[in-house]
Amino acid sequence: MTASSTRTATLRLGSVVAVPFRWRSVVVGALLLVATLVSAVATIALGPLGVPLESFPAILTGELDRQTLFALERLSGPRLVVAVGTGLALGIAGALFQSVARNPLGSPDVIGVGAGAGAGAALVALLLPGSLPVPVGAVLGGFVAVGLVYLATGSGFRHPGRLIIAGIGVAALSTALTQYVVFAVARDRSSVLSAYLNGSLSARSWEHALTVWLCLALILPAVALLAGRVAITEMGDEVSDGLGAEPNRTRTWAVVLSVLLSAAAVSVAGPIAFVALTAPNIAKRLSRAAGPNLVLAGLTGGLLLVLADLVAQHSPIGDRLPVGVFTMGLGGAYLGYLLILEWRKGTL
Amino acid sequence: MSVDDGDVTSWSLRAESVTLGYGGEPVVRELSLDIPHGGLTVVIGPNGCGKSTVLKSLARVVRPTSGRVVLHGVELSRYRGKAVARRLALLPQSPVTPERITVRQLVGRGRYPHHTLLRQWSESDDAAVAEALERVGLTEEAHRPVSELSGGQRQRAWFALVLAQGTDIVLLDEPTTFLDIAHQFEVLELCARMHREGRTVVAVLHDLNQAARYATHLVVMDGGRVVAQGPPSEVLRAELVTEVFGLACDVVPDPHAGTPMVIPMPGALGPVS
Repeated sequence: MTASSTRTATLRLGSVVAVPFRWRSVVVGALLLVATLVSAVATIALGPLGVPLESFPAILTGELDRQTLFALERLSGPRLVVAVGTGLALGIAGALFQSVARNPLGSPDVIGVGAGAGAGAALVALLLPGSLPVPVGAVLGGFVAVGLVYLATGSGFRHPGRLIIAGIGVAALSTALTQYVVFAVARDRSSVLSAYLNGSLSARSWEHALTVWLCLALILPAVALLAGRVAITEMGDEVSDGLGAEPNRTRTWAVVLSVLLSAAAVSVAGPIAFVALTAPNIAKRLSRAAGPNLVLAGLTGGLLLVLADLVAQHSPIGDRLPVGVFTMGLGGAYLGYLLILEWRKGTL
Repeated sequence: MSVDDGDVTSWSLRAESVTLGYGGEPVVRELSLDIPHGGLTVVIGPNGCGKSTVLKSLARVVRPTSGRVVLHGVELSRYRGKAVARRLALLPQSPVTPERITVRQLVGRGRYPHHTLLRQWSESDDAAVAEALERVGLTEEAHRPVSELSGGQRQRAWFALVLAQGTDIVLLDEPTTFLDIAHQFEVLELCARMHREGRTVVAVLHDLNQAARYATHLVVMDGGRVVAQGPPSEVLRAELVTEVFGLACDVVPDPHAGTPMVIPMPGALGPVS
């Protein structure tokens, strides 16, 4: 590693604000944004209802013909905004949990939080419609899942191996519950089924977009407050206690915020698998920085989901497969790779 | 030997009849201990005697189930988290090195107690980190990942973190473990220098001769109690070592430092079956 790749600078605003940053992380963040933008343009431009590239200036000036406007406002637009928000939420949720679990496999989607939130959402939306708002159902489901995992390991979130095994059990329970609810209520509607089991971005509305971005606006300030402590906690409980970072409280808050973010994502797009697992790892590899890399994990999550949805919408293999099937396929392979890696390191 | 009530100027940190444990049977019962201000206190004792637990309670990592720890005249539990960390630093026995972290970043994290939400890095932080790296001789390695360092260098990096924290009191839990003999002395010299520069240092050590050579105040623990304390030359006697460690030995003056040196007797533990 060369010195320049680790060089840091400090952002100063007057004499009050001074926040250190790494140049490499800034460059990686900018590249991720550009890649997301390119993927977004491709998403809008491709397909029979796509907006041709030469009409893009008209989007900004509002001079589109009615058919294109309809496609953009009702179909691709909200779907894209939901994809970015959901990916952001999943990426940050994953980075928080992996950091306090001190293991790349301690991710909310691996340990059943996503599946639990999905079951909660399905229960509230399909079996008991009108009883609670869907996001509340997702939050409750997520907390029940994380609580069960916590109790089942017998050692909290400290032992990654137990965490994963307990998580697989809780995820299977949750998926079974979701399947039961979906079959009991909507056995003839396969699109509903796939959305609740795999996660899907088809037929998203501006209401969904508002939900996920509003949740982000509420949760992210709390994440920003916690970020410094989370980085300190990576050095072990005794060191972080010695530095005044209160590791137990930090871990509790990080898990709570991670579950809330996962639930926000699930309530608008269903339990999309493995974005929370892969995004933080990819972000770390790109930035080569220590710490949870929360911002970059969020940006990577957004890019991953926009890309996956682009493939899902225009894939030649299956006609309009739910995006969750793609992330499941790609993320599953990545999970296998990580399991082998961690097993070789002896951390499992 | 009993614990006297010193006045506030003679000690900066004290445990007052603390009972300590990890949920089950207490490891330490009603122990009282004064840490002399500006001294280099070394705690020794056989495995499982509770010496690390006492050290952790002084740093508030283990909280007493009864009794209290007092720092600068105020009960430790009444300080806010970062306020303790600006007065007292702890280097635990097995800290976790985060993946990909560089030496400079690791040492920089010692500045965490001095940061606020908006002001996360300042010139004084830069200066403190540079000085700490200089002290432990790792300035050249500042931008290298900690994972690439040798065992001795890594321990010096953690020492630099503690130095950068800029506290008056430093607590070290078996800082020489896993190091070869030369690196052990390197670490002990660092301890001695911290002490000479005016810090109050408390270290848990295993090696009796190293403890005797470096300590200004020696505390001997056994079975969760303090059995003796004072200057090494008064405390470290053959009868005590035999009683506490179960090792028949002679204690002779160290030919270089004049401090007591423990020489185990031939066949001190009887025939090995």
